[in-house]
Amino acid sequence: LPAGLAQWFPALEVLDVSGTGLAELGAELLCLPCLHTLLAKNNRLGGPGSLPKGLGQAPLARSLRVLNLSGNRFADVPAALLLLRGLRSLSLGGNRLHGIPPDIQELRSLEFLYLGGNFITSIPPELAKLPSLKYLVLCDNKIQSIPPQLAQLHSLRSLSLHNNLLTYLPREILNLVHLEELSLRGNPLVVRFVRDLTYNPPSLQELAGRTVKTRNVPYAPSDLPESLVRYLSLASNCPNPKCGGVYFDSCVRQIKFVDFCGKYRLPLMHYLCSPECSSPFSSASQSSTSQSESDSEDEASVAAHRMQKVLLG
Amino acid sequence: MEQPVQTEMWKARSLEELVRILHQIFAEDKVSVEEVQALMESYESNPEEWLQYAKFDQYRYTRNLVDNGNGKFNLMILCWGEGHGSSIHDHTDSHCFMKILQGNLKETLFEWPEKKGNGEMIKKSERVLRENQCAYINDSIGLHRVENISHTETAVSLHLYSPPFDTCNTFDQRTGHKHKVTMTFYSQFGERTVC
Repeated sequence: LPAGLAQWFPALEVLDVSGTGLAELGAELLCLPCLHTLLAKNNRLGGPGSLPKGLGQAPLARSLRVLNLSGNRFADVPAALLLLRGLRSLSLGGNRLHGIPPDIQELRSLEFLYLGGNFITSIPPELAKLPSLKYLVLCDNKIQSIPPQLAQLHSLRSLSLHNNLLTYLPREILNLVHLEELSLRGNPLVVRFVRDLTYNPPSLQELAGRTVKTRNVPYAPSDLPESLVRYLSLASNCPNPKCGGVYFDSCVRQIKFVDFCGKYRLPLMHYLCSPECSSPFSSASQSSTSQSESDSEDEASVAAHRMQKVLLG
Repeated sequence: MEQPVQTEMWKARSLEELVRILHQIFAEDKVSVEEVQALMESYESNPEEWLQYAKFDQYRYTRNLVDNGNGKFNLMILCWGEGHGSSIHDHTDSHCFMKILQGNLKETLFEWPEKKGNGEMIKKSERVLRENQCAYINDSIGLHRVENISHTETAVSLHLYSPPFDTCNTFDQRTGHKHKVTMTFYSQFGERTVC
């Protein structure tokens, strides 16, 4: 960046230095009090020192709304970036990212996040703590599963997941009420009912824990070792509304297919506390294999109203 | 459309001229695919001429009507953000010409699925179309998916459909199942349409 940039153009609001071969964005940025859009795509940014020191204290940290760093060489999201509290739109498409830092949740104002075309293998549940996120692009990565917490992104309107390594989705994805666009093509989504053969029977500790929880056996921290008190606090409720049970580490993973608008069948992962626990979505017992074909009538019609467009093809 | 009736090829020197020549060509009873394709390709994209139609949407690609060809054809501009793509679709027995005005678009051709399609659809071929190139497809050639695979650049394309159509089928790549959809315009003649 040219020296004296802030002196010459103190009122600068939009700066586009894309395709200029820059290897670092210098301290000149820190003196621009009005900058709200910074476009620096297709450069050589990504090494240490790509962003100027003191970024968190600069006026930029509050004024910057749009940052485009796509087509650079970032192997991880620089910590300094997460100090840009006012950021609404961030693009790191086409870089070399292997993961997303949990501290991404610091970007409280983020509405648009583009991370397509990297090498990301998993999504931290903290990503779901972004209350204003409307558009999330994770296509062309190496993602194997979506954390169920992602369903907490209440503002999400568009989710791009195509060309990843997903075999199923969490059933919680049905809770994204405002979702209008969902792309899933190019994932090895399972198409047939898969019976989980690796169910491990619960341990004695788990069985005892389940009993304590479901029968509301009273206990105080003084009654039990701290490790067991902690263990008891990690109980998960069985999603089956007819079952008041809980589970700790041992659960049945079951893939159910849900029809969207009668055209696509999405494999959704359900967790149940035991094989004996009948699925929330079948009226018959769980042992029949045909349930995967005709199940989730109610769920499907509700989801069909909500999911306006699913780009699966 | 039949074999070429005239031997000389058109050269459109502006978008306006392209539209004018298209009206002329389509006023005839016989129109040739080769003639239209060559005409479309002859126009050298000049953003100043089409910027007013190029309205982008954050979440998905947009269709912006430029000219309705006196009912004989629809000419429209499609705007693709980074990563935006279409579903696999057919063309309702119409001819479809697609010319790249800016950026690049990947076109993947698919075979029609079997009657009671229940398997993964078969990919025939794929290619990346560059600026000013013009592709052609119709239902007898097959189905296609068009996508902007760039994570850094947007893309703009010019499409001609004859006869015009507003519904088509989209196909699920995993199963071949089809679903009829109605297509809408994001803008018409440079004005944003509110649906």
